[in-house]
Amino acid sequence: MSELNEQQVALISAYIKQHGIAQNTLHDDLLDHVCTSIERQMDEGKSFEAAFEQTIKLFGPGGLKQVQQQTFELLTEMNENMKKVAFSFGLTSTILLLAGTIFKLMHWPGAAVLIVLGAGSLAFVYLPLLLWHKLKESPRDESLMHISGFVGLTLTTIGVLFKIMHWPGASITLLSGMGILAALYVPLFYFKKYKTSSNKSITLSTGLVAMTCLILVFGLMTVNRSANFNRGLLLVGAELDYSAEKAANNEGLYLKLDGNQDAASLKMAVNQSLDEILALRLKLITETEGISEDEAMNIEPYLLSKQDNFDIPTHILFHGEEKYSANILVNSLETFQERLLQVYQPEIRSEMVTILPFDFSETYTFRDEKMDWANFHLRHIPLSGVLSQLSKMQLDIRNAETQALLYLLSQSAVSESPSGDQGAYEAQSL
Amino acid sequence: MHKKLMYVCLMYSNELIKGTLKTIVLSLLAKKGRMYGYEITQHVKEETDGKIQLTEGALYPLLHRLEAEGLLETEKENIGKRVRKYYRLTESGNNQATSLAAEFQEFSKTMNRLLNNFSLKPSYYV
Repeated sequence: MSELNEQQVALISAYIKQHGIAQNTLHDDLLDHVCTSIERQMDEGKSFEAAFEQTIKLFGPGGLKQVQQQTFELLTEMNENMKKVAFSFGLTSTILLLAGTIFKLMHWPGAAVLIVLGAGSLAFVYLPLLLWHKLKESPRDESLMHISGFVGLTLTTIGVLFKIMHWPGASITLLSGMGILAALYVPLFYFKKYKTSSNKSITLSTGLVAMTCLILVFGLMTVNRSANFNRGLLLVGAELDYSAEKAANNEGLYLKLDGNQDAASLKMAVNQSLDEILALRLKLITETEGISEDEAMNIEPYLLSKQDNFDIPTHILFHGEEKYSANILVNSLETFQERLLQVYQPEIRSEMVTILPFDFSETYTFRDEKMDWANFHLRHIPLSGVLSQLSKMQLDIRNAETQALLYLLSQSAVSESPSGDQGAYEAQSL
Repeated sequence: MHKKLMYVCLMYSNELIKGTLKTIVLSLLAKKGRMYGYEITQHVKEETDGKIQLTEGALYPLLHRLEAEGLLETEKENIGKRVRKYYRLTESGNNQATSLAAEFQEFSKTMNRLLNNFSLKPSYYV
């Protein structure tokens, strides 16, 4: 009875592996089968080569790979129940996401809950189940492909969720997810398809189309879509800034009011508010742009590269340090306005209230949602918009200050000279 | 197309063999105790005078599935430089083998009766 030598067994083993049998148990089965078949044929007087060729022929047109494919198909039929569970989770996520998107478009309440639930179950239940299933049913050399697909899709899903919910970190998550898909998953997937496909040119072109689509979406995301729009906003802000700077020249008035208690305390309140606004402004620019404070002081607003980012400003104003929160800003502006009212005689205060620059008691409605001043003016507003509003605040404060100082000056002129001619004249000339 | 070619047999149609493959393998193992893959193909070929030939493409996927279902268990033995896997029935595999064989015999009887009736009728009407 013939027995194959070590080299011959190694040769057959290599042949089997080379023809795509990655599963170990199947490899052992086939190796023994092929070897035994060859040995029997050699017993009948055939040469090793002839027997080998004859045996391989018996595997049919699909060859060894077909055996493996068939094995997987049969084995995975076992997991029908698990497949159903995974599928129902996938379907639920899709329906939730679809419903959430429609709700969001129609501005119906509950959109956020639906989207979070949908994306959550997609990223944390369906995709992991799918990965587990894929890893189990495919050969080991494909696991990199499945894992990269899983990681890429999960990150993309989370990124989209964060983007819709305006949570911080959305862009980086989305970009890395799509990057992994474009750099690893799609090439690996189509490489595998290309190797086994019967019409290579069609596979190649569908692969290219898939890559191109991904890259286009990728490109779309990195393009600063509303650069001109934001520049418009920032230019308004810059003009407001410029006006605020010009209006800042109230020193002359203060000199004339030297010793006036009201003027001194007004000056303090003004400076405090303006300092806080400046500090907030620097914080917003340094954090969003990732530059130093010195650079932030000198940069022209319309040169800011992340003017359309609203994740970071919203985070700073509503979820960050107390010191830079929207609440503190509102408190500071309220204190300033109270101080401002004190300047005026009690009998005209009620008149002056109506021309105060900020009305924090008002409720605003945006997309059928009621919100207070801070949320309306600052939440989910891009950097350019927030900066413009800060500029407007500076200007408003300066204008109100000038108004109050002129008033004080006229008051003191009245009280100092009973005839009032000279004082009143001075006040007017200013 | 490829799938059809997987169940190479010389006399019977693929559809016919496909449904009985499991019955063949389980019954054979019930009779012989333990066997390895090549042995099974050779045995089926000899017993049927070459009328049924199992191919590797059909046999091994089935063996793996039956193992995963818990109907078969395997033993490994070293043969020279390679490993040989012997398949044998588990208890539930044994039960399956018996019930499948009984079912097929019953089916075969019914078919016989049916076909006999059919083949008689036309001659009366001609």
